Amino acid sequence: MSYVLVGTAAVSIVSGIIGGASAKKRARAEAARKRKLQAKLNMLEKNRQKIINPYENVVSLSSMLSNPMANLGVATQAAEMQIEEADISLANTLDTIRSTGASAGGATALAQAALKSKQGVSASIEMQEKNNEDKRAAGEQRLQEQKMAEEQRMQQADAAGKQFMFSTREGREVTQMNRVAAQIGGAQAAQAQAQADQTAALTGTISTLGSLGAAKLGQGGSN
Amino acid sequence: MSNRNIATNLLIKQINQSDAIAYRPGFLASPTDSNFGVLNKAYEETGRLYAQLKTAVDSGKCSTPTCEWEIKRLIQLEGAPTTTLDFLSNFASEISTVEEPNFDPNNNFAYTIANSILTKKPSFSKTDGYNVELHLLEDGSQQLIFTGPGFDEPLLVNSSTLKSLLDSGTSIVAPTPNIDGDMSALLLETGLFDVEDTMEDGTLGPNAKITETFVLKNPDGTFDYEILDIGNGKGRNILQYDMDKIKRKSEPFIDAEIAGLLSSEQYAVAAWNVYISKGTTESEDDQMVQAANAGDNSWSYEFDLPLSYEHKELFSVKYKDYFMNNYLIQFTKNQLPTVEEDAGILDLAQAQQAKAQKFLDDNNLN
Repeated sequence: MSYVLVGTAAVSIVSGIIGGASAKKRARAEAARKRKLQAKLNMLEKNRQKIINPYENVVSLSSMLSNPMANLGVATQAAEMQIEEADISLANTLDTIRSTGASAGGATALAQAALKSKQGVSASIEMQEKNNEDKRAAGEQRLQEQKMAEEQRMQQADAAGKQFMFSTREGREVTQMNRVAAQIGGAQAAQAQAQADQTAALTGTISTLGSLGAAKLGQGGSN
Repeated sequence: MSNRNIATNLLIKQINQSDAIAYRPGFLASPTDSNFGVLNKAYEETGRLYAQLKTAVDSGKCSTPTCEWEIKRLIQLEGAPTTTLDFLSNFASEISTVEEPNFDPNNNFAYTIANSILTKKPSFSKTDGYNVELHLLEDGSQQLIFTGPGFDEPLLVNSSTLKSLLDSGTSIVAPTPNIDGDMSALLLETGLFDVEDTMEDGTLGPNAKITETFVLKNPDGTFDYEILDIGNGKGRNILQYDMDKIKRKSEPFIDAEIAGLLSSEQYAVAAWNVYISKGTTESEDDQMVQAANAGDNSWSYEFDLPLSYEHKELFSVKYKDYFMNNYLIQFTKNQLPTVEEDAGILDLAQAQQAKAQKFLDDNNLN
């Protein structure tokens, strides 16, 4: 092998080593950058502020609901008064009949009138009681509806809270991950490119070194 | 050792940068031999050895009936050129770090000398007493040996040891992180600025300002300016910032950046030694003959790694100070009002009087 050829090969080897070294350095720097970004991402995720559920403290108010018609009283005092008035009226009428000497038939008619009046009072009480029962039932129905509405409100609030937490966390994580993932991806691509450059640099040099080795082998064989 | 490293590294750097040696009488006149013939010497006997081994195997005249040793050596010799290139490029890539402008002089100075030898710097030639040899070892690994007057002892580097070190993500010469680039990026990440202030290359624009959310305001929503005395009885309004709010907002991002740096602790040591400990910026370093370094407060790659909890805590505190004092401050100090009519030059006494009166009015203290 001539000195010129050896010199050329030596230059090629040196430039190959330098090229390979430079590519390796870039590859290692990108690998370190990737490590750093990963650690950074981990820390960001670890230290992010806790996402709150704004509906967390919503409580069911159904226990505060009651049926205002549940304990309605019947106005019996008025009825009793009406009965007393009817009795007094009957007694007065009987006194008048006695003093005027009216017949027993008139007294009977009066007694019947008094009975009728008492029957009217009883009917009035019954009507009041029925009326109250109706109101109680209507109140109970309204109460059930309100309780149902409150429970629905609670469930919706709970669901909305969970939805809020999920979407907030999801949105934030995606943004964060996209940003750092893009950076990590960039570092990976740069590392891969540097490694490819390094391979290319060394491949060319190996063939040069191979020919140099063959020449040496030739020298060795001839010795 | 740390001071020795600093002194030697900086001396070599200064010599190389100053070209002083070119002006030394007689230097140009004397011949310099920088041809170490590393590869030629390493492979000098390999041709003969290869032929002997090959002949022994082919003729069945080996040391053992199975020719195990001979075949193993043949395979090693065939793979040796690839190993050599890989080894040399690994080593060259590592020690080239010493030529970076922000190189930490606390790194072992032996590598700076080795780099000077391999890159044929003046004063590191064979003529100056330096030498480098490559040995192909029987176990298939290879060894570089650097000798010369600058070394305390020969510098030995083994190919397989170096490779395993590098494969594990560490380095023999720690590069210093690009603190300027990292902190500029960090400014953006803190969320203190509007997205519109970001330029296409991802850096902050020249007119970037911290968003109004972080500016102090009066109860009526107007800006709570500080009146700056500019002399001659005149003053100017400047914005005041809610530094506590700024700190709370930016801290998680700074912590994340610190965690990233500490993922390779040798980088954190380099950053500490070159920038963080003394608190000097790159631009300040550029103006000095030698970049500032931690000096006696330096952390040693040899003795301080892995970093202790106390070291990490100190690094974190000083890193934050560095960020606040060198990067964020330019956006929080002497910022003129964004409202045009508030930005003019004021009569200092009148402006101060008006400000005091406004305070009384706002707080019903009249």
